[in-house]
Amino acid sequence: MPPKRKVDSETNPTPQAALNPTAKAAAKPAPRAGRSKTANAPEATTPSAPTGDAMEINGEAQNDAATAQENQQDASAQNGTLPPTIPRKRKIAPPPAGQKSDFSSLLEPFYYGKHLTDPIDTARDKWNLLPAFLKVKGLVKQHIDSFNHFVDIELSKIVEANKEVRSDVDPKFYLKYVGIRVLRPNRLDEEANKGGKSSVTPNECRLRDMTYAAPIVVDIEYKRGNARVMRRDVKIGRMPIMLKSSKCVLAGRSDKEMAVLSECPIDPGGYFIVRGTEKVILVQEQLSKNRVIVESAKGIMQASVTSSTHERKSKTYVIQKKGYMSLRHNILSEEIPIVFVLKAMGVQSDQEIMFLIAGEDAVYQDLFQVNFEACAREGVFTQQQALEYIGYRIRGLKRPLPGQKRNYCLEAMECLSNVVVTHIPIEGMNFRPKALYIAFMARRVLMALHDPSLVDDRDYVGNKRLELAGQMLALLFEDHFKRFNHDFKMSIDKVLKKQNRAQEFDAYNHFSMHGNHITMGLERALATGNWNLKRFKMERAGVTHLLSRLSYISALGMMTRISSQFEKTRKVSGPRALQPSQFGMLCTSDTPEGEACGLVKNLALMTHITTEDEEDPIRKVVYLLGAEDVCTYAGQEMHQDGGFLVFLNGTPIAVTTLPKQFLNGFRKLRRMGRISEFASITINHHYNAVHIATDEGRICRPLIIVENGREKVTARHLKSLRKGTMEFDDFLTRGLVEYVDVNEENDSNIATYESEINQHTTHLEIEPFTILGAVAGLIPYPHHNQSPRNTYQCAMGKQAIGAIAYNQFTRIDTLLYLMVYPQQPMVKTRTIELIKYDKLPAGQNAVVAVMSYSGYDIEDALVLNKASVDRGFGRCQVFKKISTQLKPYANGAMDKIGGLRIDPNDPTKTLDPSHSKIGGDGLAEVGVLLEKDDAYMLKSVPTNLSSVGGSGPVQYRDTPGKYKLPDPAYVDKIIVTENEASITTIKIQTRQTRRPELGDKFSSRHGQKGVVGLISPQVDMPFNDQGITPDIIMNPHGFPSRMTVGKMLELLSGKAGVLDGSLQYGTAFGGSKVEDMTDLLLKHGFSYSGKDYLTSGITGEALQFYVFFGPIYYQKLKHMVQDKMHSRARGPRAILTRQPTEGRSRDGGLRLGEMERDCLIAYGASQLLLERLMISSDAHEVDVCEKCGQMGYRGWCGICKGAGKVNKLTMPYAAKLLVQELGSMNVKVVIGLGDEFPMENE
Amino acid sequence: MSTYNTQTQTSAGGNPGVSVDRSVEYRCGDCDAEVSLKRGEPIRCRSCGHRVLYKQRTNR
Repeated sequence: MPPKRKVDSETNPTPQAALNPTAKAAAKPAPRAGRSKTANAPEATTPSAPTGDAMEINGEAQNDAATAQENQQDASAQNGTLPPTIPRKRKIAPPPAGQKSDFSSLLEPFYYGKHLTDPIDTARDKWNLLPAFLKVKGLVKQHIDSFNHFVDIELSKIVEANKEVRSDVDPKFYLKYVGIRVLRPNRLDEEANKGGKSSVTPNECRLRDMTYAAPIVVDIEYKRGNARVMRRDVKIGRMPIMLKSSKCVLAGRSDKEMAVLSECPIDPGGYFIVRGTEKVILVQEQLSKNRVIVESAKGIMQASVTSSTHERKSKTYVIQKKGYMSLRHNILSEEIPIVFVLKAMGVQSDQEIMFLIAGEDAVYQDLFQVNFEACAREGVFTQQQALEYIGYRIRGLKRPLPGQKRNYCLEAMECLSNVVVTHIPIEGMNFRPKALYIAFMARRVLMALHDPSLVDDRDYVGNKRLELAGQMLALLFEDHFKRFNHDFKMSIDKVLKKQNRAQEFDAYNHFSMHGNHITMGLERALATGNWNLKRFKMERAGVTHLLSRLSYISALGMMTRISSQFEKTRKVSGPRALQPSQFGMLCTSDTPEGEACGLVKNLALMTHITTEDEEDPIRKVVYLLGAEDVCTYAGQEMHQDGGFLVFLNGTPIAVTTLPKQFLNGFRKLRRMGRISEFASITINHHYNAVHIATDEGRICRPLIIVENGREKVTARHLKSLRKGTMEFDDFLTRGLVEYVDVNEENDSNIATYESEINQHTTHLEIEPFTILGAVAGLIPYPHHNQSPRNTYQCAMGKQAIGAIAYNQFTRIDTLLYLMVYPQQPMVKTRTIELIKYDKLPAGQNAVVAVMSYSGYDIEDALVLNKASVDRGFGRCQVFKKISTQLKPYANGAMDKIGGLRIDPNDPTKTLDPSHSKIGGDGLAEVGVLLEKDDAYMLKSVPTNLSSVGGSGPVQYRDTPGKYKLPDPAYVDKIIVTENEASITTIKIQTRQTRRPELGDKFSSRHGQKGVVGLISPQVDMPFNDQGITPDIIMNPHGFPSRMTVGKMLELLSGKAGVLDGSLQYGTAFGGSKVEDMTDLLLKHGFSYSGKDYLTSGITGEALQFYVFFGPIYYQKLKHMVQDKMHSRARGPRAILTRQPTEGRSRDGGLRLGEMERDCLIAYGASQLLLERLMISSDAHEVDVCEKCGQMGYRGWCGICKGAGKVNKLTMPYAAKLLVQELGSMNVKVVIGLGDEFPMENE
Repeated sequence: MSTYNTQTQTSAGGNPGVSVDRSVEYRCGDCDAEVSLKRGEPIRCRSCGHRVLYKQRTNR
């Protein structure tokens, strides 16, 4: 908030300047390029500890000095650009690297419970690698990494692929893109002054409903007349910037600087701010691209591959049906026998085809034999004939010009080289690699036919790829960029067509004409979540989601969420089931219940999603390691015993006979840092293949390398890690730790604990609790709970009210729940510390007595202590936003606020009593209490909104905003601002403070939710010998069926911690031991079992039983009675049916539904039915003619033209409506009338 | 059913009463300076150019 900040800025400069040069030892130079080889080279060559460390420190010192200098330059540069008249004190403060050292380093996770001098035990302390890992990767860093990769590398690649624009009219004209960059984020009105630094902050964008975006600029070279013109920094659009990405103003800022920018240092980033709302691009799960998948269904065996390149996306099948194998593709009108395809690709001899596909294996040969029959049947023997055959069956080509014959041969060549399996490039008409690829697909089908266990598992995580924000944006940007080029070409063609031009043609003028398309396209896609790409026929909705800010955990949980592309309606269980291969990669507990169960997943704590690495260096390495080019091999050699095909990203490139040696060599190179650490290599013994993967979207995680039965990470390394001389990346470059993806993980022997290492072990787990994700990590002792309970808690943890961010009071969200006194849990987990939940907690440590009390605690209801509630237990604040814009209209008129009228007789009163809370500007005064029907804003809208402007003064209609809720709220804050389009925006934030009441929902961290059943006075509560009364009484019946032993352990450890004055741990597969806890309890004179002797507060007698008594962390959930309570006697009705409206917000009625109706019918309560369904609802009097059965009017039948036989009767209005609606459809409904009490003898 | 339509009256009829249109004090969200704005004035801090203004707390 403003005043606080002012103090900050004044105190900043001096102490920092002093600190900077001195505070070095513990300083963490953030921008240190961890993997730069020059810095690490000396260490690698001299492994002796003292020298290595010394050099490190020197290196850091230099680094530090350098950054400090840079920062000073930065600061001066900022000052230079600002006009001198505007004093901005906070800019003067040098943003130093030293800042991190003084305070925040004390809070670094390394030091939790450990001191620098404590002895190190590798088995216990290897988890220290985890915080080190989370500094560089993991959690939301994958989003950020993906976005950075897109902005830095992918963007240039896209431009490179579409770099020339030529004109159809003037062959001499061209425009070439030389470079593309994304600049730093700025405001839209700052675009004009280039080079000027912008002071825009993400929080300003949130408040002003702007898009946090940066200009995209290109360097172009084009022809003007005969001259070649170069232009630099031409803006083509604006790119929304991901928070905390390398382009973001928050990148690499210290906690203090973040505070100055009114941003929360704990906030994970990784989302966008679009038109003032925070949008996340969820991680999307898909089947791998460019990989062969073998499936079987209904007697059909098929191998399919989805090829994806920048130009084209297509799916190709090799399919075995009725004993024959053929190739299927959308562009081909029918399936082509596989033999023809291979012949067309230049594999002409039948023998060669046979060997390529079946090798020398007699079984496979017999299976494949029949396919050659097609040759004789169709008379296709040569390449030429095969090409003709295929060319004839190509679908939907443009019609050839009349008189011209289609050249089937050429068309087939074109199709085979560009459309079928597009991801295998054809260089110099060399079809061999593609022929091999198709032969290999055919072989996979043969193998699966022979041995059905070789059919691939689609649900195997190794066959999946995760699509991140960067990839999604790349698709979008490419599409818009192509359209931009197309539009540009159209507009220059239009000019170039004219022969005589008045002035020399400059394409630049046309270039800037389409400036808005890319900006608007990107912004719209992010704002709506609709990804519509015509080129790929992609129409995906719901790609982006609004970042849930209900609690810190809900925001974090959203960032790690993975949504599946499978449709939810399918009844197959496979995609929903827990997959063994997701061990360590995807959280085993965190998934929603119900519809999306198992389809929405979450990342585990220590995962990273790869970005793309270059293939070429890897290909070179493959050949250097002794594998031979696959194209030089004939079929029988390739498939002979002991021959292993080497696949690079699913494409066969080489053959090796020594796969194990090859694999070891490759791994060694990777561990040395010669190739990317994310390249993975596995041997598949089923197919005799070595698979190397470098593609993007693979899930991987780090593991400690074990060689010769000993792990490579030793106490010495952990020591320097704790000292800060080594970082996680150093562990990677030194080959102590490596990333392992799902495929490689399943090819390794991983020991969970050090003691389990044997001679076969290849890796050691860093920490077993990382199989859980961030949200499941909050649960103490989850390994003692029944697993669904952990899943329930994962859903509920996201609904808990607590602290949201350090900047929670400077944000204005639509709905914000905050807890007044949040506490960190007594029983923590390592995960809680790592994700900093202890700094933004959502809950309180309540002293719980597990006992029966008063009968108001059945069915999971809780009894609260009134004194605890008075002192602030479970108290929360609810902030709501009311936002308005003063819109301008086409005729020049505009909405306006103001116009408060004062009573002329009494100047202290307003004329309209409901306006009494309004100030002079037409807005409610800040701090005032708004009650039902009070106006908070006097807004007037012009009466004439049409584009044709009427003459004379504008007429206005008053539309005051009125507070409609039954519970009053205070006006907390009002901001007045202008958005990017200069439209005035007014945001009013209201505040309510709520104490717990009957019916509010609470939950512990073990999926045990309950509502408040009774708030009991403290005197009536039971107490122990120290006079302690519980905050909550929980019924013991909650335990037997739920089996949440973890909750009992939490109570035990919590109690021991309270008595001991320490925080205990309930980390999964570890945590404080029960034995130690019981010892602690005994030491403090309590029962080891955690049970206490209590005295009844009502009778004063001793309770006849010992009560399990101690602290449990309780969360208040967002479902509160105040938001739901509703009743109505009379009220509004819907216009059409005249029945009561529906829902609390419309003051609706309570529905007596079909099932309730059935009960009343069964019981025979006909009068009650009549009352509920008609009299209290939509009774209506109609005049019905006895003669014709139609409805009349005022005792007159319009059809019979008479009044004689018209009767009044009451019926539901909805029934009358139905009769009339049917009449409108030409269905006549006749109402038959009869006497209620007919006379006997008539 | 008629309760569903919100009643709106036009100010054109001109009820009696004194309309107040005095300037109101705001505070800049960036430099914390006081800014007094009248109706229709551009929303901008006079000293630093920031465009987010907070209405000041009432002393009622």
